[in-house]
Formats: sequence, C-alpha cells, structure tokens
Amino acid sequence: MAKLVLAAGVPHPPRLVYEMTQSPGKMRGEALMKQVREQVEKAEPDLIIEVDSDHFVNFFYNNLPSFCVGMAEEAEGPQETWCPIPRYTVRGHVPLAKALFRYGVNAKFDLAAAHELRLDHSLVVPLHFLNPSMELPVIPIYTNGFASPLPLATRCFALGRMLRRFIEAWEGKERIALIASGCFAMDVGGPLRGWTDTEWVKTISDFLVRGQYHALARRATEDRINAAGNNSGELLNWITVTGAVGKTKPLFLEGDEGSGYAVWKFD
Amino acid sequence: MSVYQVNKILYLTDNDAAFRKRLTAEPETVLKEFRLTTEEHDALTSGAVGKLYQMGVHTFLLNHLYRYELFGVNRDNYLSRIREGMKYDPRFEQGNMPVQRFIKGSS
Repeated sequence: MAKLVLAAGVPHPPRLVYEMTQSPGKMRGEALMKQVREQVEKAEPDLIIEVDSDHFVNFFYNNLPSFCVGMAEEAEGPQETWCPIPRYTVRGHVPLAKALFRYGVNAKFDLAAAHELRLDHSLVVPLHFLNPSMELPVIPIYTNGFASPLPLATRCFALGRMLRRFIEAWEGKERIALIASGCFAMDVGGPLRGWTDTEWVKTISDFLVRGQYHALARRATEDRINAAGNNSGELLNWITVTGAVGKTKPLFLEGDEGSGYAVWKFD
Repeated sequence: MSVYQVNKILYLTDNDAAFRKRLTAEPETVLKEFRLTTEEHDALTSGAVGKLYQMGVHTFLLNHLYRYELFGVNRDNYLSRIREGMKYDPRFEQGNMPVQRFIKGSS
C-alpha cells in the first residue's frame, strides 16, 4: 500500500516569486516556503496530491464542480498572462488519479473528473517552491472555494478522510505528500482588499495547533468564510487536508497575516 | 440570465487573448454578442465596478477590469469604484493598500 508521508499547506501569492527576485532573502514568504520545502525534501515523496481551488481559469460558471480530480497526463500553467512566474509543464499520474476517482465514487463522493487542465497560479505557485523542476507527478484535486454555494467544510473534511483511506488502500508503494494550496482568510480584490480578519485567522490557527480539525470544519460555515474576505474559501483546501491527517498535530504552523503555512509529518 | 453574461465577458477577457484583443479594439461590436441588459451594458462600459459588484459579478472576474485597464478602470481607481454605493466601513482604512502591480505578460 501507498503511504501518506507528509501533509502541508501553503498560500500561492502570485507576486512572491517576482518580489524575491527584487529583494532576495527579504520576503517572509520566501523563508516560510523554504521551511516547508525542507520538510518535503526530507519526507522523500514520490508523488504530490494538491488540493486547490481554481480561480476561473480551468473552470467557469458554465461547468463548475464542487470537487474534481485532475487526471490529465500533463498540463501547463500558470495560464494567466499577468502572473510573473515561470510557465511549467506539470506531469499527472493517470492510474492513481483514476483509481482515486473510482474509490471516491464507491465511497459515495460524486466527484467530477477532468482529463485536460489549464493550471492557474494557485496550483502552480506552491509547486514552484515545493516541487522544483516539477520532478514529481501531481494529482490536483479541486474544491470549489469561490463560487457560492461552496461545498460544506464538513464535507471537505470527509473528502480528506476518504483521501487518506484511498492512499492506504492503493496497491502501489508510492510515498505521497498531500498539499493544500491557499490562505486562511484574505481579501484580494473585493471591497475589503488589504484587511485581514485577524480574529478568524487566530481561531483557525488555534484549532489547527490543537488538532481540533473537525471542530474547525464545523465552525467554517460559508457565511463565516465569506465574512473574512473574498479569497477566504481557500480554507476549504486546508480543511480537506486536515481530514487526512488523523490525530497528528502540525510540526509547525504559521498564520502569517492570514496566509498560512504548515507541515504535518507521519514517519 | 444575465450577470452570467457579464461574468463570461470578464472570464474570456482573461482566458482568451484573441477575445481580449477584439474587446479592446471594438467593444460595442463584441458586447452585442452577449445578452446583456441595458443596465449591465451601461455599468460595464462606464466601468462602474461598484454597481457590477452589487449586481453579483464575481470579484475575481471584476479584477480583470483593472488588470487589462478596460472601460476606464485601472489600478488606481479600482478600490474606490468597487466601494461606491457601500456604507463607510472602518475596515476600508486597512484596505487602502494599492492594488498590486504585475509585470505585464507578452500578450
């Protein structure tokens, strides 16, 4: 059976890579990404499952699944011309993605599947840091973090639990890293741009540090998420990942003004 | 039907370079291809971000108006425009950081 060797969560600030080139060694995000990267390296994964919310690049209102498994052989991104990071080709892992899809359906998760993907910055920025040169294959799992109505956070948590069971039931020997892409809470282009809901960020951090993951999922209603800014639905990706970590507490966790960085180890 | 159509125009603006070029060159011709109400058409072409926001256009898609500097919207006026029609909120004070400037892509 395969093994979950590491779980992590990181944000995907599109400007970070550019800012690092302007003032190397000065950005807090650079240091935190490095910290997560070191743990990923130590865990020696063979494959990454990344839980992410597309920002209207791969999906649009014409067809927008609550949950979708990416099963493309490879895909390119970021597609956004305004995102100043290198454009990559990211390899998928079709057999494992297909098996996950089937396992999910049998576990009563009516997942969608996408055999072609246009990757946005939210999928690629974490990989730029955590999967340099894109050497590891990546299976994207998309949650609808932005287009109301959002999936229930408790359902995302259950999805994460199913992911863990799938990983442990999979016949391969892969060492798997599970990564959440996104912030805890933020407003990036709505009327509250620049404001951080520090109370909500602290609530999230406290629940995570104590390992009270299901309690966090119960607290994270759509109303609460939306009140924290237009980008705050990315918390659903974190909650999905916490569904997979069981009782393990994070090795480290940093709220960083709503951005959020954390690592869980399982060896 | 419609807020969907406004969302779609903004989605295509970001994801389809040929569409973006056409929209910039001949906006009225392109907008006729969509089923917009007069109110939506006028809000869009006058860059009334706040009105579009109140109508329910998604903020992520509204962002493309300043990114591509469409209909008079730019990085400097986006925030004040999206707040038009809203009651004053003290959180605006913290939100007054400028909208991020990106290096423009080749297309």
